[in-house]
Amino acid sequence: MIQASNVQKLKRKMKNQQEELFAQLVREHKSTIYTVCYMFSHDEEEVNDLFQEVLINMWKGMDGFREESKFSTWIYRVALNTCLMQERKKKREVPKIPLSMNINLFDDDDANTRQTRQLHQRISKLDFVDRAIVMLWLEGMNYDEIGSVVGITTRNVATKLFRIKEQLKKM
Amino acid sequence: MEEQFFNEMRMQIANLKESLNKQEIISDKLIREVMKMKTKDIRYTKNSTYGAAVFSIIVYPLITLTHIWSWAFALGTCLMMIFCILATYYIHRPVEKLNYMTTDLATVAKTMAKFKKQYHDWLHYVTPTLLIPWLCWACYEFAWKNAPAGTNPIWMSIPLIVGTILGGLIGYLYHRKAVNAAQSILEQIKEEEE
Repeated sequence: MIQASNVQKLKRKMKNQQEELFAQLVREHKSTIYTVCYMFSHDEEEVNDLFQEVLINMWKGMDGFREESKFSTWIYRVALNTCLMQERKKKREVPKIPLSMNINLFDDDDANTRQTRQLHQRISKLDFVDRAIVMLWLEGMNYDEIGSVVGITTRNVATKLFRIKEQLKKM
Repeated sequence: MEEQFFNEMRMQIANLKESLNKQEIISDKLIREVMKMKTKDIRYTKNSTYGAAVFSIIVYPLITLTHIWSWAFALGTCLMMIFCILATYYIHRPVEKLNYMTTDLATVAKTMAKFKKQYHDWLHYVTPTLLIPWLCWACYEFAWKNAPAGTNPIWMSIPLIVGTILGGLIGYLYHRKAVNAAQSILEQIKEEEE
């Protein structure tokens, strides 16, 4: 028979393991999370807030993550939904801890940052859903994966992408 | 030519991610704070409505004891607040149920747009039918019944009316902005379905 104290120990151990796993996953996928937040923000502060809110939502949803989808797809889903919901929660209670960044993608003026900013400006001109689709496509996801994250059919992804590409070329 | 254009964009994304990978970005302190937030409720609007309503239900009858206003007004206000709590709960219910860790973007957008529309309709109907009569009643209770001799009760009502109109206008403008944003996303989704 398992003693109550052993159950407690086991629970504590599992919790620690889950925390370690979360920290590891966040460190591995930080660039993906940051990129999504950057593409849907207007300034550094907004990226900072969104980034932290995405982490909170990921941590809240860790138990619900099913391994049938790829972890990167799940991250995109959480990040995009968080960006979508940000309007609803103007008063966010996110921990205000600044991100440890040596670069400011909105203000720095080196060649790389200028290029990134150019990309940001192009994508920002698109509608929310179009922005999400093009980002996922540029990241190398196939139409099925894009469709499952956005919630539209594969055929619609193709039609929509064709239109977005035309729109981007004209910019 | 077209391929080159999009390859260039892909490269820009790849370069961005590469430079981000070299950055520390997240500190241990941040991760610890995030984990602590799990139990914290961040649903600000809903909580403030509940808070304000419960506060009013307790405070209004107490103020009545000081004879500032009548028991009928206190009871009417309490009933109105209970009605507001129930309506807030009903409107927020679909969003509460929504798990946007496993739900696709289109479903989240649709639920959110529906929520915004219901909220908008609620404000649209409740303002003329509930809020304005309540405000008139409050002015009557506060100014007409309590005006010192020789004071025009209209002057006593003005701060109450101006404050309510200003507060209402600011709230409505913020709300309108959010409704438009949700509506635009809903239209994009509808376009995909057609």
